[in-house]
Amino acid sequence: MSDQVNDPVLCPVCGKKAKTGSAIDCARHIFGTGDKPHRDWVNAQGLSFIDLLIEQATTPGNKSYQILAEVIEKARAKK
Amino acid sequence: MEKKVVVLNVNGIDYELYINPKTLLVEAIRDYIGLTGTKRGCDTVSCGACTVLINGMSIKSCSVLAVQAEGYKITTIEGLEKNGKLAPIQEAFLDQGAYQCGFCAPGMIMSSQALLNENPNPTEWEIREGIEGNICRCTGYNSIVRAVQAVASGKYTEVKS
Amino acid sequence: MNKYTVINPHEPFRVINTHVRNIDGIAKVTGRAVYTFDVKLPGMLYGKILRSPHPHAKILKIDYSKALEIPGVMGVVTGKEDTLGVKQGIWRRYKDLCDEQILPVDKVRYIGEPVVAVAAITEEIAEKALDYIDVEYEVLPAVFEPMDAIKKDAPEIHEGFERNINVTRHIEWGDVEEAFEEADYIREDWFKCGGQAHMCMETRCAVSSYTPDGKLTIYHSNQSPYYMQALMAGVLGMREGDIRIISTYVGGGFGGKFELDGAIFCSAVLSIKLKRPVKIVYTREEDFIATKRRTPMYYYTRTGVKKDGTFCAREAKVFTNGGAYTGMGATALYLTGFFHSFPYKWKAYRYDGYRVYTNTLPSTSMRGFGAPQAMWCSEQQIEWIAADLGLDPIEMRRKNAHEEGTIIPGQATIASCGIQQCFDEIKKWIDSKGQLPPNRAIGISACGFMSGGIFNWFDTPYSFSSAVVTVNQDGTVELNVGAQEIGQGSNTTLAIICAETLGVKVEDVKVHSGDTDFNPADLGAWGSRQTLMAGNAVKMAAEDAKRQILEFAYAQSGLNIVYDLDIKDRWVHAIARPERGEDFVKVVRRAIRGKDGQRIVGRGYYTPHRKGMISPAYSYMLQAVEIEVDEETGKIRLCDSLTAHDCGQPINHLGLIGQLEGAFSMAAGYGYLEYMPFEDGKLMNPNLVDYKVIRATEMPPANIAEVDTYEPEGPYGAKEAGEGLTNPTAAAIGNALFRLFGIQIKECPIRAEMILKALKEKREKEQQGK
Repeated sequence: MSDQVNDPVLCPVCGKKAKTGSAIDCARHIFGTGDKPHRDWVNAQGLSFIDLLIEQATTPGNKSYQILAEVIEKARAKK
Repeated sequence: MEKKVVVLNVNGIDYELYINPKTLLVEAIRDYIGLTGTKRGCDTVSCGACTVLINGMSIKSCSVLAVQAEGYKITTIEGLEKNGKLAPIQEAFLDQGAYQCGFCAPGMIMSSQALLNENPNPTEWEIREGIEGNICRCTGYNSIVRAVQAVASGKYTEVKS
Repeated sequence: MNKYTVINPHEPFRVINTHVRNIDGIAKVTGRAVYTFDVKLPGMLYGKILRSPHPHAKILKIDYSKALEIPGVMGVVTGKEDTLGVKQGIWRRYKDLCDEQILPVDKVRYIGEPVVAVAAITEEIAEKALDYIDVEYEVLPAVFEPMDAIKKDAPEIHEGFERNINVTRHIEWGDVEEAFEEADYIREDWFKCGGQAHMCMETRCAVSSYTPDGKLTIYHSNQSPYYMQALMAGVLGMREGDIRIISTYVGGGFGGKFELDGAIFCSAVLSIKLKRPVKIVYTREEDFIATKRRTPMYYYTRTGVKKDGTFCAREAKVFTNGGAYTGMGATALYLTGFFHSFPYKWKAYRYDGYRVYTNTLPSTSMRGFGAPQAMWCSEQQIEWIAADLGLDPIEMRRKNAHEEGTIIPGQATIASCGIQQCFDEIKKWIDSKGQLPPNRAIGISACGFMSGGIFNWFDTPYSFSSAVVTVNQDGTVELNVGAQEIGQGSNTTLAIICAETLGVKVEDVKVHSGDTDFNPADLGAWGSRQTLMAGNAVKMAAEDAKRQILEFAYAQSGLNIVYDLDIKDRWVHAIARPERGEDFVKVVRRAIRGKDGQRIVGRGYYTPHRKGMISPAYSYMLQAVEIEVDEETGKIRLCDSLTAHDCGQPINHLGLIGQLEGAFSMAAGYGYLEYMPFEDGKLMNPNLVDYKVIRATEMPPANIAEVDTYEPEGPYGAKEAGEGLTNPTAAAIGNALFRLFGIQIKECPIRAEMILKALKEKREKEQQGK
């Protein structure tokens, strides 16, 4: 159905592969789960989980998910 | 308030009750006589679930005191069938599926029966007005209207033997 | 009055889709049916609940000593002293979302929340005792609307939920930005969708009886006895098997009776403390203010289409007023986002849903489960887009509609879909009406719905549905199911499936349901799951029993094995030679002898697999509603309607008509009558005088065109009917108003004053134009 990513991004918090394994799906997984460990990880990257969420909620488009996806990619590259 | 002896004639039987004069007819029927077919769905005389017949006319039994019903012939849902044979309106409700959860059905059937007692050939609008005081949350009423129409059309007239 | 048409009917069955009277009917029309409301046990006490007058407050001190002095008062319970303080919820997989103590220990979060429960020898004494209980509160600042509750300085309702965001849901497929690029026309609108009271005729009630052997029996008016058993075990620290839930007759549910309520919890806690049966019946007012409601929503939706009306992309953002607790609201949040895409194909689609805690009555599932709100917004906006582009609204919908084989990426594959024929039927009906009288117009609305959810956030190891079919030596059949009859006719529907499969008559089948001690677990009556899921379980169980009977019939028949045997109308026979056969009862007797005297028992179950994220099958429908508006008063009158409807193969003919008519009446109520105004967290119309539901005089004809399709996953091809039809009506009424006056109403229920205001604005605009 949808293309699976070859080298899937695993969630930096719980290690889960979200849907296709893309960074954006991982970002969706993090927002969707939204429990304390996931929130803390986002905050530890210098972002504000709740601000990103409210931004996503109140403006058209997908900006917050993209921002988080970029951060996930960066964190992954660092490893 | 001092309790009082009240004799209620329900479905042809005299019941002697010793009750508070403030007792509502519905409470007397359900809680003292134990006929639980009659329901209650509100506290504001709005839903019709407690409808019974008094001398053939429909009345919401939460709107009258038991003492006020003394000396009248009270009919509840349990009093419609005769020797295990259902009344035409009950048969029509079954055939039309004119009830679902069934909680409004006793009151709805009594209102329908009262309407037919008064007006054996009602128009569709007269039927709707006749059951306007009864809320049914399940059926959307049209099957109930069809059931009353079926009875009015003579579909369930007993064949005299 | 009503017209019922069948489009492409299937070949006739013996029992399925014939005129079968509801098997509970005699009990219901004679007053014999005993509801929880009617249950009276020896030594029974009556309970009453003291409720919070504040929308948000800390409970500092409760003094009930004076209440205990009243003669006839037997006991009092509070959250702090008499409960384990377990935070429970129906989303058991997610601990965070288990957030509700039915008797809160230290904080109340909405007006009407239970605080103390009293048991006495009469209801009057219990009621009086409430006046003698002193509760000291520290009143906290409260917030009532989701857009206020997400503000930085808003009061915190639950610890750890920043900005009061309770749950978020995101659905996305395709490249939304790119798909919007392709669009020639983009329209965005904000909508507001109201709440709605379930308003079951039987208010919440329970009779709990705890006995010294450590067992608890509860009569309770609910939609899922198994859920009640499991949830009660959780909050009481008991084993599920030590709790028995009996729910024989239930006076309506509509999505509001499958979570714990104050009646079941408080009566159980009182009974455990006092070792006597305790009955609690909610008054109508309590049922309004202290249960749950349809989820109110704020909806932003942006839709991009091509000039020719091809749909490209849609993006929606939704804030729901979650009220004080999660309940089933989390599911409604997901489903509204999913069904907002229905019944159309989108190249790309994105939905962000946010459920926000407020200090109001919790919101939850209600018939339609988020979809009526979704359709209110979607179907009106689509109508307006058609008008903006000068396109025919039926044809524009038609060219974008789902069809057999449509894939909703990552979510679902549509296996059966009859919506094209629904368009034909609606078009014919509208054309046949010709010129309408002045002040009248017809509005249409399309939708689809699920046939049971696939999700298992309840986290049970049991199958979604189970059934046991037992054949007695006289040919009578016991059908045990965990599926719950709440008036929707599931007992009858399942009896029909059993009788058809086994080859007996419907009167041979006795259905046993609504008792956890004697029936297998089942998730219960919600999400339109029973016909498909319990139906499949029953079919499997009946086939299992039938196979055992036929094995004996084969063994003794001496027929060549290429012959197939079958049972129809209590006649066991070779299909090729139906005249060669034997009476069902005789065969059954011998078969039982051959089993060393054991009755024939068939087992069946159903759990969906490989059916996507949402549901195994989807119903489709299109509705047209004719309305008349009095321009002086703004009052709407419904005049006529037609619903073209695809539920696969209808099983229970009478039940289907009843469900469709009934859903229409409830949906119409949501559209223009059933308004729940709150002031500072207080519901202003908690009674049936001020809260208006449809009455007989307001109900128009509900004509039905049944488009029969075949759903491969459903029993005999059946799928959902009766819940989905709650979805289209509000939008159809709104669309009729648009047709009539060109006004766009963005808030439901549509009240007369809103119409008057819109008409006034329209006149002013026209005058300015001159």
